[in-house]
Amino acid sequence: MKVKAYPLLWTTQEAMEAAAPRWFRRQLLTDAQYQAIRAAYQPDFYRPGLLLRIGLVLFTCVGVAGAAAFLALFGAAARLEDFRLLGWAVALGCLGTQEVIIREFRHYRSGTDSALLYIGLFVLALLLAEAADHLLPSGTTYASGFGSPHYALLLLPMLGLLLLATLRYADRLVAAATYLVLLALLANWLLQLSIGRLLLPFALMLMAVAVYQILQRWRQRPDYLYYRACLIVLEVLALATFYLAGNYYVVREGNAEISGLYQSVQVPLAPLFYLFTAIIPLVYITVGLRKRSRLWLLTGLAAVAFSLFTLRYYRSVLPPEMAAVLAGTFLLVLAVWAARYLRPARHGLTALADADQPTSFNLESLVVAQTAQAPTAPTPGFEFGGGHSGGGGADGSY
Amino acid sequence: MRTSHLLADLQARGLLPPAQTQAIADDERTRPMSLHQELRAALYLGIMLLTGGLGTLLYQHLDDIGHGAVIGAMALLMLASFGYAWRHRQPFTWGQANIPSFVPDYALLLGCLLFLALETYVQTVFSVFGSRYGLATLLPAVLFLALAYRLDHRGVLAMGLTALGAWVGVSVAPLSVFTANALFTSRLGIAGVLLGLALTGAGLYAEFTRRKPHFAFTYISLGANVALLAATAVLFNYYPQPWLPKWVAVLLVLLMSAGLVWYARHTRSYLFLLMGTVYGYIALTYSFIRLLDFSNGDEGGLLVSFYFMLSTAGVILLFMRSKEFLRRV
Repeated sequence: MKVKAYPLLWTTQEAMEAAAPRWFRRQLLTDAQYQAIRAAYQPDFYRPGLLLRIGLVLFTCVGVAGAAAFLALFGAAARLEDFRLLGWAVALGCLGTQEVIIREFRHYRSGTDSALLYIGLFVLALLLAEAADHLLPSGTTYASGFGSPHYALLLLPMLGLLLLATLRYADRLVAAATYLVLLALLANWLLQLSIGRLLLPFALMLMAVAVYQILQRWRQRPDYLYYRACLIVLEVLALATFYLAGNYYVVREGNAEISGLYQSVQVPLAPLFYLFTAIIPLVYITVGLRKRSRLWLLTGLAAVAFSLFTLRYYRSVLPPEMAAVLAGTFLLVLAVWAARYLRPARHGLTALADADQPTSFNLESLVVAQTAQAPTAPTPGFEFGGGHSGGGGADGSY
Repeated sequence: MRTSHLLADLQARGLLPPAQTQAIADDERTRPMSLHQELRAALYLGIMLLTGGLGTLLYQHLDDIGHGAVIGAMALLMLASFGYAWRHRQPFTWGQANIPSFVPDYALLLGCLLFLALETYVQTVFSVFGSRYGLATLLPAVLFLALAYRLDHRGVLAMGLTALGAWVGVSVAPLSVFTANALFTSRLGIAGVLLGLALTGAGLYAEFTRRKPHFAFTYISLGANVALLAATAVLFNYYPQPWLPKWVAVLLVLLMSAGLVWYARHTRSYLFLLMGTVYGYIALTYSFIRLLDFSNGDEGGLLVSFYFMLSTAGVILLFMRSKEFLRRV
């Protein structure tokens, strides 16, 4: 059996379908060349847009539930009432059906095959957990704290299972789950050491760096395109881990959580974590703008938002409504200035629309409908202006 | 990185000469990154923060700041926003206006939100509308719809439609239809259905008379969703609705779903295909289970599980043919 479930050709076809129209629009290809490329890389797989994929996931889940119920009822009629047996049947059934669907119906991460993969892996993980539970000496459970060595008994086989699935199917969600299990294994191992708690943030940051390096090396491989979607997700996760592991809020609250404290207390090396919280987002944004990497830029913006949240959580600098007005004004001025400044492209950046990015005007109107609503008519008898509003933390002195 | 793999492949197949390959690689390396979407998002976030903060400030300091000063400042800001948007207006067209910059769009949005804050404030302090709350919610609806048509703005159109929904007493916002209307216990019923049908009709009118056809998506996605959700909620409502018996609701959902699928084929829209299929599937499944006879035990259960297996396989096959299905009209 080959390692990869999908033909490599499909990934090339998919990538070319995105790239060739861009080159044609930028007049780097002649019309004849463009037609020739389109003919040569005609996709022969099934992968609908995002909306239909969501629909396919929904309907596949309902279908699997129906099939599982059918099996259970059938088993009950035949006096086979072992749930482990049913679990194996569902898991193997899902994974087998997925293989058939990929081969016969040429589904390429279409929603159906992904959903079958997730259900199959989930049920397998449950079966693994159940088996691991049997191996434990009686009386010990997972509940004996996160630092317990028994966790490895569950996490290691899970890591193996997820790693194999990622290598074969290159699914983004499975890749993310693999990474998270790896993090959990590292944390679980460190917490068994006496100095582990102090080292944990730095170990996680180091691991994020290591993972990022490995991902960069992976980009040189000839089958890079096959794993491209996974690598993007993992890069974002590595950047997020590096930032979050050094974030003051995460370190302090995580520390309290591990120690079982109700109230978090000051952590050792606090100034260092303040520094990380302040600097890392700015570094991400700078790198994003200079390398012209949207991945770094957006992760950096999300990190800025979380750093601001961290600041506000421990120090109330301004009342929230004042902060909102000031931040809103700042964002408005900055965006208007940037829109004017970058009208001709400068420093490799532009404010003009990119023809490659789909215009999302339609979506925008839905977002506006969701967020900017007219006030509803109050029921008669309701009096305005009495109590204080839900200003969030502002003390109402009425 | 992706490009180099593709270019190597193209060159190996003899589809590109080396010089051109180099040109494409250079272009990919030097092409500026577009911050268009990010800047739009920043503008929108800024507007939401600013108006939200100002609204809260007003509410908290109702008694201690001079009313005149507050109203004056906000009114000035609002007029400035409206004025800026108006100064950059394009000549009116029933088609889609060609707007060179996106800043006026957001100025208009800011003005509309400030109008809402100001209206609430004026009503709170001076009770300008007295107890005629209907008027207070109809006014922004009318203003926003007029502005949306004149200045060609889909966001303001959506705001006008939510204001219209507020006037009728139904929340039409995409997600809050699930929460604000308290789906399964609500009296959403007939008002939601009628408003939804009216909005859908307005969308179809826009589409087929080519009067702002690009507004049709906003009208139909909001309208059809409200109508279908209201009708579906009736099915699962324990208390029967006097105005809308359940079999009428089933028929309505099936008819509207069929309409949506037809409209999806007309506009080649996957969103409407998905909406029509999901709502239609729910109504069909509901009728199937209601019609089943569960009196002899297991057989009903087997039949239901069988139904789910086969029907979902059918839907998946339909989706697999969706490209041809949508293209056939």
